[in-house]
Amino acid sequence: MLPLLTLDHVTKMYYTEAGEFLALRGISLEVWPGEFLGIIGKSGAGKSTLLNMINGVDTLTSGEVVFRSNGQEVFVHRLSESERARWRGRALGIVHQSFQLLPMLTLLENVMLPMDLCGLYRPRTSRQRALELLRLVELEDHAHKYPTQLSGGQQQRLAIARALANDPPLLIADEPTGSLDSTTAEVIFRLFERLVQEQGKTIIMVTHDTTLIPRFSRSILLVDGMIVTENRNHAAEADRQTDRGTPPPAGSDSRGTPNGSRPAPGDGLTRPGRPA
Amino acid sequence: MVRPRWKKVLHDLWDNKARTLTVVFSIAIGVFAIGVIAGAYVIISEDLRLSYAAAAPYNVELRMADFNRELLDAVRDEEGVARAEGRRVFYARVRAAGATRWVGMDMVAFDDFQANSINLLTPLQGKATPEKRQVVLERSVLDSLSIQAGQALEVQLPDGSVRRLQVVGIVQDTAMGAGDFLALPFMYIAWETLSYLKEPEAYNRLYVTVAEQGDDIEYIRDFGARLRNTVEKRGGYVVRLRFALSNKHPLTDPVNAILGVLLALGVLIVFLSGSLIANTLAALLQQHIRHIGVIKMIGGRSEQVFGMYMTLILAFGLLALLIAIPSGGQGAYALAEFVADRMNFRLMGYRLVPTAVAIQVVLGLLIPLIAGFVPVWNGSRVTVLQAISGEMARPGRPLAKRATALDNPQPRPAEFIGRWQRMNVLLPRPFLLSLRNTFRRRARLILTLFTLSMGGAIFIAVFNVRLTLNDYMDAIARYFVADVLLDFRSPYRLREVEQVLKRVPDVLRVEGWHLVSGELLDPRGRVLENINIIAPPAYSPLIQPMLVEGRWIRADDVRKFAISETAYKYYPNLKPGDRLKIVLFGEEETWEVVGIFKFIDREGILAYAPYEYISQQVGLTQRAFVFRVATSRHDRAYQDAKAEELDAFLRAQGYHLRRAEAGQASLDLAVDSLNTIVVFLLIMAVLTAIVGSIGLTGTMSMNVMERTREIGILRAIGADDRAVSGLVLGEGVLIGLISFVFAVGLSIPITYLLATIISLTVFQTPVEVLFTVTGYVSWLGMVIGLSAVASLLPARNAARLTVREVLAYE
Amino acid sequence: MNRRLEGAMALLAARPARKADSARAGEPFPMIEARRIVKVFRNAAGEFHALKGVDLTVRRGEFVAIIGKSGSGKSTLLNMITGIDHPTSGQMRVNGMDIYGSMNESQRSRWRGRNLGVVFQFFQLIPTLSLLENVMLPMDLAGVYPFEERPRRARELLAQVGLENEADKRPGLVSTGQQQAAAIARALACDPPLIVADEPTGNLDSRSAQRIIELFEELAAAGKTLVIVTHDPSMMAHARRTIVISDGELVDEAVSRALPRLSHRRMLEVSKQARRAEFNPGQVVVEVGQPVTALGIVRRGWVEAVALTEQGERVVATLGAGEMAGVSQVRRGRPAPLRLRAGQEPVEMLWLEADRAVAVLEEAGVNESG
Repeated sequence: MLPLLTLDHVTKMYYTEAGEFLALRGISLEVWPGEFLGIIGKSGAGKSTLLNMINGVDTLTSGEVVFRSNGQEVFVHRLSESERARWRGRALGIVHQSFQLLPMLTLLENVMLPMDLCGLYRPRTSRQRALELLRLVELEDHAHKYPTQLSGGQQQRLAIARALANDPPLLIADEPTGSLDSTTAEVIFRLFERLVQEQGKTIIMVTHDTTLIPRFSRSILLVDGMIVTENRNHAAEADRQTDRGTPPPAGSDSRGTPNGSRPAPGDGLTRPGRPA
Repeated sequence: MVRPRWKKVLHDLWDNKARTLTVVFSIAIGVFAIGVIAGAYVIISEDLRLSYAAAAPYNVELRMADFNRELLDAVRDEEGVARAEGRRVFYARVRAAGATRWVGMDMVAFDDFQANSINLLTPLQGKATPEKRQVVLERSVLDSLSIQAGQALEVQLPDGSVRRLQVVGIVQDTAMGAGDFLALPFMYIAWETLSYLKEPEAYNRLYVTVAEQGDDIEYIRDFGARLRNTVEKRGGYVVRLRFALSNKHPLTDPVNAILGVLLALGVLIVFLSGSLIANTLAALLQQHIRHIGVIKMIGGRSEQVFGMYMTLILAFGLLALLIAIPSGGQGAYALAEFVADRMNFRLMGYRLVPTAVAIQVVLGLLIPLIAGFVPVWNGSRVTVLQAISGEMARPGRPLAKRATALDNPQPRPAEFIGRWQRMNVLLPRPFLLSLRNTFRRRARLILTLFTLSMGGAIFIAVFNVRLTLNDYMDAIARYFVADVLLDFRSPYRLREVEQVLKRVPDVLRVEGWHLVSGELLDPRGRVLENINIIAPPAYSPLIQPMLVEGRWIRADDVRKFAISETAYKYYPNLKPGDRLKIVLFGEEETWEVVGIFKFIDREGILAYAPYEYISQQVGLTQRAFVFRVATSRHDRAYQDAKAEELDAFLRAQGYHLRRAEAGQASLDLAVDSLNTIVVFLLIMAVLTAIVGSIGLTGTMSMNVMERTREIGILRAIGADDRAVSGLVLGEGVLIGLISFVFAVGLSIPITYLLATIISLTVFQTPVEVLFTVTGYVSWLGMVIGLSAVASLLPARNAARLTVREVLAYE
Repeated sequence: MNRRLEGAMALLAARPARKADSARAGEPFPMIEARRIVKVFRNAAGEFHALKGVDLTVRRGEFVAIIGKSGSGKSTLLNMITGIDHPTSGQMRVNGMDIYGSMNESQRSRWRGRNLGVVFQFFQLIPTLSLLENVMLPMDLAGVYPFEERPRRARELLAQVGLENEADKRPGLVSTGQQQAAAIARALACDPPLIVADEPTGNLDSRSAQRIIELFEELAAAGKTLVIVTHDPSMMAHARRTIVISDGELVDEAVSRALPRLSHRRMLEVSKQARRAEFNPGQVVVEVGQPVTALGIVRRGWVEAVALTEQGERVVATLGAGEMAGVSQVRRGRPAPLRLRAGQEPVEMLWLEADRAVAVLEEAGVNESG
């Protein structure tokens, strides 16, 4: 089996008035189908830059990003802007911290929009499919409401439904729970877990919340544009194999992980560069 | 079901109604202006022609000494004559019964109203055919006389007695006085009334239409000359000839020229509104940058985004047309009605002009698409990264680690200003902020400045043009320095009149003049046009001519005259010393041109020859019909009063005075028509100023919208409502002031352009262009006012923003 | 004469007493006094209670860190203090001024300019003004300091934060750390007694963050009152007082100090479940040999642990606010080995029943030796 996604020595340099800034220092990474990959790091560590390299939203300075699906290899950064948009629409579902919904469209229309743009589904089918996706995220009752009439959690669920519109193999989530309160954040996170377990989606999620580490199938820690630690979560993997289909136990706070915002043993992980 | 992306377009159109209205209105205003002018142009030229032709206008008018029916019948039998009618036209002093002031009018007696077939009257109110002791008024009478149908009109006869006529109707006469700026208003009476008014029952005007070639001026001139011979052979005496085409109003060309100027201004307004649209659309795209990012993020391609926004713009255009076509049609008709009223012709009824609508449709759809193309193109090419991080939308955001050289948020002018930072310490920071903000969006600033400066420049230019025209009129008035003109029914000795008049207080000078008329011939001897020769005493101080070439008349000139520039129309290379053929007192003579002077292109060609020579020719040495009187004061009211006084005085002394009038009276109509033109120009100037200030309001709203964040920061660090609105207001006024500087510069060429075009059409001659501070000062005041008003609303909105809303972006 | 002298002496003698009084009178009112602050956000989706009746008092000169997870209401609370937002109900006195009861938005802005320095996570410098101009701006807006003096003062402030050489640069031309330092200089422009900061190090690399923390430390030393919302552990370490907010409510400070590793939500639960008890000076809190049925957390005052020896009573330990008593006893159900009694001041205790306490201690990772 080949990886779904391969990053090969990806670097990114920014040029600003204040000087040059190397945001990514040679990232090599393989993402396999069915993985739930967490990218952890503090703000400024390069997490979002890395995502932008994967989804082809930003250009890279050197290296290569290869995406494989249906036996085809796509060299993301060799595509033209237009081809890349088309590829992105079909291959990726993107979920943002700030939801990025279109306020003037109803929920249903928001979910239909990617299908409209990519032309993979006929208009009638796309409506049907959009309703199904809304049902999946339990928003079917609100299909004709507008995003502003929803709570934050509901908006993010809508964003997830939209990300699934063209049935992409890979979901990319940038701090999807970053602007949600803890209860809602948990609901959203579980929705992602279900997508991996039930629908076999591959998900890459960026977060600064270290308490989530045990719940990813794999997590990498990014510091100053480099992967510092790679952490394969065998327990989560085992979970996934034995308990396929059952949601993880509630109250993940009580799993014995220290609170991320207090100095704790795990904190060495988030600030490795600092003397003890 | 509408596909989601078109649903978004629909929502973009509908949800932000204020913005949609701004865009639609900015498109509509230009399209409206062009619709009004193009529509009026078509309506006026069509209806001017149709209504003029419908009145069956004369082709030849012969002003003659009294003649009888025999002569008229003879003319009717002449070859080439379609119809001929005789009238009696005489000057009468009238007033509404009970009023105090007498007004001079021309009374027209018809021998048979039923048989009238030339210069048809259109009934407007009451009867169109007066019976004995009744009178019908031409509508222009009502401008100078307040009277209604049913009321009595008093007529003062030359012997001082007063007769009463009953006003029975109002009519419109589009043909008789057409094109004659100096014509008096007409009143129509029946033949039987003549005796009541102690007028002889004889014709003195002959109106003739030609059987063919009614639109060929050459033919009509030749025909007129032949007719004159015929008439004179039969004992008639022709004083003057006038020619007119059957289907072309005499003022068609100048009207078209003025409409042409307005059309040019209309096109300019469309351009200005185009830049307004470009600005608004650029801002709209800025606001939508996130949406574009989202669409691209989920697989939308640049072409799709481009298509969506171009459709949106097309929709804006269609909405604008919805407003601009009907209102433009109404405006066009209203303008046409105004012109029709001033020029005394009838409109054929309200209609939309297909040509104007077609122009509106093309411009209304094309201009927004063109104006929106660049912003939409750029907007649709925004990368997802720029869009999602909101960099394009928020220039204030620290760009650390993000920026590339391309999206540098600070345009160079701001950097340039940064160089005087050390000096800036002297300025309060809030003002400095206004200053820098002004220069932050360069393209927008340029477009705003362009609109505002053009509006201002035209506004200023209109004042200059008005001054230029008025100054020229003043110069023209120096041909009429006399304060009272006296017109006697019989010639009087110069010495006698002078001595009598010197008994009246404040009569400083009295001169007797002669007026003779003839025809100017082309070198082959065909009649070109009437030539009126005025014969003041040489070196008369009552005339101060504007000589273009040569010299003024001298007492010893024999068959020499100074001729008006109008002669260039027929002799483009005319020079002093050239000899011209004219017909004078029925004889063909050759006169030498001694000088060429500037004058208004009026009825016929004007020339001056010395009294000393002409009085001998007419056999009235030391005598005159016409006298000019100078007093110490030259204002119109004084002149009117003095004319009234002399009138009464001379009649009391038993002199046969025809009329006495103010020296400037003959200029009234000319000044009036100039003012009409200036009003038109002012309307256009105000329109451009409105477009400019809408542009500024838009710009300021956009600036505020984009700077909500900055305003939030200011709020957070202690700016109260006054400080925040002051900031916005300061910026608006600063833009206004900068635009003023440009407007001052631009106003110079625009003044020259407008003044030249207008003086060429009105005076047939270029005039010396003058400048006045009035326009500059009033525009300075207006632009400060306008820019303050334009930024007031945005400023209030800015002050209303709460900090949380502003900083809630995080 | 004598009498006069006596009077003078009395006056002199009275002075130190007065001084002590005036020292207290120097703080006639706290810097921040929040009473039952409620903030409800409403939108089409319903209501969201961001603050559920928060009481908070910050004394003058305190350096307070407010921490909480995202969505806990910490930024909302901060906005209540700065007057940037307004509460649904409740009263907020800042520097003695009832900022919501007596001012409108515009007046509040003006007041804020003179009384408060605000530092934001994203610096919020005006990009078109140089750093110097940015620092002068609040003085211009508030109209404090003579016009000619403002540039000099701004330069001094920039020098104070180590930016004397960058004064004439635009914000975009300096590093993010320098931008934040400039933002702090701007916050100090009108010499406000209170500085409020929202995640001031949230967007900085660790070295720049360290420099910013040092700056705050200097400000605290200079007597400014600092209220800082932060995620940054090193910032918290410098704060004299840490307030934890969770789901719109404040955690009892004794609980958060005693059980720092507990999740915020559990801290809040503990704050609510714990029973309060007050003791007079010297009063016995727990007698030797008495069964320990609840975990004790000192909330106020000092508790002395007294061993009863043959020589009499001996104080073996003193427990202050945020310290716990009976950690191992409550786990094992043992009697108290020492007598606990209130010190010379009144004591307030929080008691958490044994069954709950065991789970809480487990979650909080408190080891046996505690």
